[in-house]
Amino acid sequence: MNPHALIRRCLSGAAALALSAGALAVAAPGAAAQEDETDSLLIATSQEVDTFNPFKSRYTLTYNTNMMSYDTLVRAGADDYQPVPGLATDWTESADGLEWTFTIRDDATWSDGEPLTAQDVAYTYNLLIENPAIHDWNIDFSANLVSAEAPDDTTFVLTLLAPAPAEVLNRAVFVVPEHIWSAYPDPSADDANQLPLVGSGPFQVTEYKPDELIRLDANEDYWAGAPGFDEVVFDYYAETDAAVAALEAGEVDIVNGLNPAQMDALKGQDGITVNNAQGRRYVSLTINHGTVTQDGTEFGDGHPALKDPVVRTAMHTAIDKQALVDTVLDGNGTPATSLIPAIFEQWHWDGGDDLVEFDLDEANRLLDEAGYARGEDGVRTMPGGGDRLSFRFYYHADETNYATIVDFVTEWWTQIGLEIKPEPIEQGTLNDLAYLGEFDIAFSGWGVGPNPTEQLGMHTCAVLPTLTDGTERASENSYCNPEFDALHEQQKLESDPDARAEIVKEQQRMLYTDAPVIWLYYQNVMEAYRSDHVTGMLTQPAENGMITGQEGFTWSYWSAQPAGASEDGGTPAWVWITVAAAVVLVAAAGVFFVLRRRKTADERE
Amino acid sequence: MTDGMPSGTTEPADGASTEAPSAGRSERRGSSGFGRYLLKHVGGAAVSLLLVLFSSFFIFRLIAGDPIDQLTKERPVTPEQREAMRAELGLDKPLWAQFVDYITGTLSGDLGSSFQFRRPIFDLIVERLPATLLLSGTGMVLAVLLGFWIGTRSGWRQGSRFDKGHVATGLLLYSAPTFWLGMIVILVFARYLGLFPVNGMRSPDTPPEFWPQAVDIGYHLVLPVLTYTAVVYAGYLMIMRSSLLDEIGSDYLTTARAKGLRDDEVRTKHAVPNALLPTVTLVFLALGGVVNGSIVTETVFSWPGLGSLFVQSIFYPDRPVLQALFVLFSSSTILAVLGAEILYWFIDPRIRRSG
Repeated sequence: MNPHALIRRCLSGAAALALSAGALAVAAPGAAAQEDETDSLLIATSQEVDTFNPFKSRYTLTYNTNMMSYDTLVRAGADDYQPVPGLATDWTESADGLEWTFTIRDDATWSDGEPLTAQDVAYTYNLLIENPAIHDWNIDFSANLVSAEAPDDTTFVLTLLAPAPAEVLNRAVFVVPEHIWSAYPDPSADDANQLPLVGSGPFQVTEYKPDELIRLDANEDYWAGAPGFDEVVFDYYAETDAAVAALEAGEVDIVNGLNPAQMDALKGQDGITVNNAQGRRYVSLTINHGTVTQDGTEFGDGHPALKDPVVRTAMHTAIDKQALVDTVLDGNGTPATSLIPAIFEQWHWDGGDDLVEFDLDEANRLLDEAGYARGEDGVRTMPGGGDRLSFRFYYHADETNYATIVDFVTEWWTQIGLEIKPEPIEQGTLNDLAYLGEFDIAFSGWGVGPNPTEQLGMHTCAVLPTLTDGTERASENSYCNPEFDALHEQQKLESDPDARAEIVKEQQRMLYTDAPVIWLYYQNVMEAYRSDHVTGMLTQPAENGMITGQEGFTWSYWSAQPAGASEDGGTPAWVWITVAAAVVLVAAAGVFFVLRRRKTADERE
Repeated sequence: MTDGMPSGTTEPADGASTEAPSAGRSERRGSSGFGRYLLKHVGGAAVSLLLVLFSSFFIFRLIAGDPIDQLTKERPVTPEQREAMRAELGLDKPLWAQFVDYITGTLSGDLGSSFQFRRPIFDLIVERLPATLLLSGTGMVLAVLLGFWIGTRSGWRQGSRFDKGHVATGLLLYSAPTFWLGMIVILVFARYLGLFPVNGMRSPDTPPEFWPQAVDIGYHLVLPVLTYTAVVYAGYLMIMRSSLLDEIGSDYLTTARAKGLRDDEVRTKHAVPNALLPTVTLVFLALGGVVNGSIVTETVFSWPGLGSLFVQSIFYPDRPVLQALFVLFSSSTILAVLGAEILYWFIDPRIRRSG
């Protein structure tokens, strides 16, 4: 046979086969897609899962899956973080503040259909009291619990050792189903609650593929109303740039953790909405004003000048925070005063009359007056001509923003006669040095929660280390001020929010004027979503609030509604056609070569 | 021929009697030679493995940082909570006790638990190994085939336009940072052309049945494999090319040509088989590298394999995972090299002769 004719015949046969196979392939997934038309809300994430056990998880991601899977008695509101009813419809505090009585709603059910009662709540709180590992893991709260009882199905009574109204109302204790959990051999185990989770929240985790996805199915019977989406999927993107590309390609619905350049690129694109919200995070400079243990033993090698509040205030005065926001953050932030960001309007202290304004002359004047005279090289020395004021300035090597800040601040501080030696350091080493007190100035930063006690607590004498080996890391900066501590205890006991706010603000004022830490700015949350696919998401707070990173309840994902036509995700039809065609071609080629081989064999003979 | 033997004198018998022992002797020498050769290399590999085992404990302690910092970086904790966490992760034990736990654990197959995932490391590795084997296995096979195919042709026609073009292209890709190339590939093929998914191994909404999953994974595999292959194939190309160049002036090729063989046949039947020998090591190293070869590619494409795991663990630092992966990566390379050395005994007569 003429080889060309053979090839042609094979090819035409292959083409026919490919067409029919392609048609089949298109039909197959198409039919499958029709059957399960699920509305999925896809959220890009890069964080790992530590554990789904709500008593032990500590990551932001698992905090989110907990908030979605389970409920708390009281939750932080979407409008302004104020406590609003969750599983408890109302609550009363006894006159001595030791006994709390909660009315549990009677319309809540577990995702397996069982009713949720006050017995489940009592079981949950008793785990905190009685299970040793769970107790220890949550010791800051559980140590104060005496008993948890459910006299009837809708009443829950919690008894405390000492009054702690803010803790009781803000603490995220996720209520778990007794009928499921009592069967677990060890409720404190990291893998105690096996998937699919049974919870009373709007979505329950049903599937987890490490580094691939976490899937949560909607709870159609949710007591506050069924969520708009059938499922929420946290989809893994190791790189934010890849997540942005996926958002543009329509493969993911919500992306956060963006930088200004990414925000600009996404702004104005069809079907994409960017959300530049006020954030809960501050960036600060920790000043080594002397690292001490509980019993007053000093350790570390901080510069002696930094012990002087005047020097710290002068340094504070010589920082133009607005300029940092404008240049480093491209305007996406707010200059900071103290440690509670402006997003928590109720607790935030705005500086009042004590506000430090950027003024290099004033800073120089402060140092001159305090006797820090300039030497020949322009660098000041200790009063009476001792050490030069030469400070090590440590920043995180992986934070490009910090490098820019260091450039600016070094420039300003040089102008007030300080010698600054910037040094980028890997974050683990930087932490090690910071807790050993072996630094002069170092970067720090925290995400702040709705209860100010957490952040303020890091500046109390009680959390100072007992050893000098740098392993005890609960104190942010060895700050210890009995006056501050007294106020701290007072605010913990105060039930009246306004009165408490006054105390909290006074604490912030103290930290601000003592300046063991200089707070630079509150960073905006930069996120973007497919507004052609998702709509109606509640932000927290209501005004200029965020979608991701919510606290107390997952308001945004619960309220999200599908918009427009759902995306036809999955494998596109052309891939199936290509695969089918490839299979056919390979088969055809096989046939062709067999035939040719037979033919050449014929020739040889 | 043998038919004629018995008709001879006693000589054949003598011959047989003199030859038989000598054959036996040479065989015995051969087997003991192989035994010694094997012992030497297995012993070397065992020593290397032990060194890896010991050093991996200390290497990753050089990465500064307290794992508890990571665990508590979202929310401040009290000193008591930190203590509880330290105790649960086993960090409150003295260093020597941690070392003993690690050695006895690893030797008995218990790799311990990850700090960040808080799950047995063995499970983490088993979950991620198939993804890694799929990505770097496919990439490696393609790279070797492509490299050898182009390499032989480049070497055969040294200085030709084909040779110059391919060497230049190969080296350009070889020197491109994988990370950068991966992002470019994503931008072009996923973001702008929209032909392939941005990253991951499968879409969340793919039906769980075998075929849809297989096709979807294959679909997601295209860009990472493309990136991976593009970066590494030049290595094989260059080795194959230079290996062929070494053979090209040989007498046996002239002989083959003199016999009137076509150029293609001289290349494929005579030159290539001889040129392949030096590349055996390379292929075995490649096999060893399949386990750990695609760390950067996996990270760029969020491919859920061992490479991604390794990178996540460095940032933590999740020392138990790093230790286990380091031992796994190193031992796969050590074993692959051992395999190559054993194979050499059989395919390269020179080694047998040198004992």
